[in-house]
Amino acid sequence: MSSPVSVIDPPDVAGKRMAAVLAEDRIGHYAEFRAFFERTFDLPRIGMSRPGYVAAPSGTIYQFVFIGRSGEPFPAGVEINALVDDLEPLDDALVDTDLWAILRWMISGVGAPWSVQDLDATGRLYRLAAAADPKG
Amino acid sequence: MHYVDEGSGDPVVLLHGNPAWGFLYREFVSPLVRAGYRVIIPDMIGFGLSEKPVREHAHSLDGHSSNLIALLRQLDLDRVAVVCHDWGGPTGLTYALSHQERVRALVIMSTWAWQSPPAEFHTRIFPWRLMHAPLVGPYLLGKHSALAGRGMYLSVVDRERFRQRAQAAYEVALPDPATRLLTWTWPRWIPLDQQARAWRRFQWLEQELSRCKLPALIVWGREDDVFDPATFATRFKQLLPHAEGPHLVTGRHFLQEDSGPEIAARIIEFLSKLGNGRAA
Repeated sequence: MSSPVSVIDPPDVAGKRMAAVLAEDRIGHYAEFRAFFERTFDLPRIGMSRPGYVAAPSGTIYQFVFIGRSGEPFPAGVEINALVDDLEPLDDALVDTDLWAILRWMISGVGAPWSVQDLDATGRLYRLAAAADPKG
Repeated sequence: MHYVDEGSGDPVVLLHGNPAWGFLYREFVSPLVRAGYRVIIPDMIGFGLSEKPVREHAHSLDGHSSNLIALLRQLDLDRVAVVCHDWGGPTGLTYALSHQERVRALVIMSTWAWQSPPAEFHTRIFPWRLMHAPLVGPYLLGKHSALAGRGMYLSVVDRERFRQRAQAAYEVALPDPATRLLTWTWPRWIPLDQQARAWRRFQWLEQELSRCKLPALIVWGREDDVFDPATFATRFKQLLPHAEGPHLVTGRHFLQEDSGPEIAARIIEFLSKLGNGRAA
């Protein structure tokens, strides 16, 4: 299955603002999640020198800012920001759908025993609108 | 830390867990006060009407236990009956087992206090480990309030009654994603292997519990599918063979919602039999 989320080169951010949409303080709670971000964004080489970027199904670009914490493996955490035109309000429904797609992309990349099917089932159990009609 | 303090007499401290608050014990207050007890119901830091830190590192098992210890020391309580549920178990039992000279009795409901085995439910990817996985936790339990909303709804027997009478009170206490941080942080403290952050604390809890002679009452939800009674109530009975129970009542994990008055009456009956003594 191809993912509707793709890693992209750093975009031109002139006229854009970074709108915080999701934050995680403990990305390594399950170590395989940290490993996913390390290899996806080449973090052992890039470190904290620049954020990572993905394009989501809506076309919106999301910035991944990785957080370091002294004494802990890098990255310790991550903040996800939506790149939006500087004075445009966020479209919350669109962001919510995009975030669900990003989570599916992440789980798919983390791999077994984690599965997109289980994520979708969890979303449906909790009646998430985005999980009712998963993209990709 | 917010807490309810009603009545006078020997204190009964009622402790909630994730994602509840003192509201869970609303049907316990009047019967206990009428029976001559002082009822104290803290809202754990991070829940209810208490302060809600917004960084995950503000939360730890020992930190929450020490919050409770600080409150009960400040109130200078003696002859305390500790009633614990969910994370009120590891925190409340840490207080009780480290302050046994202050404690009169234990009441234990739908919780655990050992390293392993964890609840089978807590080992499953679907839905438990996915719910609090990196980024999924902040999304599902943070943005969408899955635990305080539908999670609690799924964990009672009479769901329609819960929806009509209680669900909004739990949801309103965690009004925005930042206030819900502890709902996905607590699951990450459940020990699944030796790398778990509270591994040694749970070892200590089990060890001290097995030596504990405090009078104890075990009450469990018959329909509890998180901490199933056959495994968890039985394990507490093995650790505390002198304990009364386990008494099974109608209830899933949040058994107070289905059987509050019955459990309160059971606690009053149990405490009344202790008389003025401290230990069995």
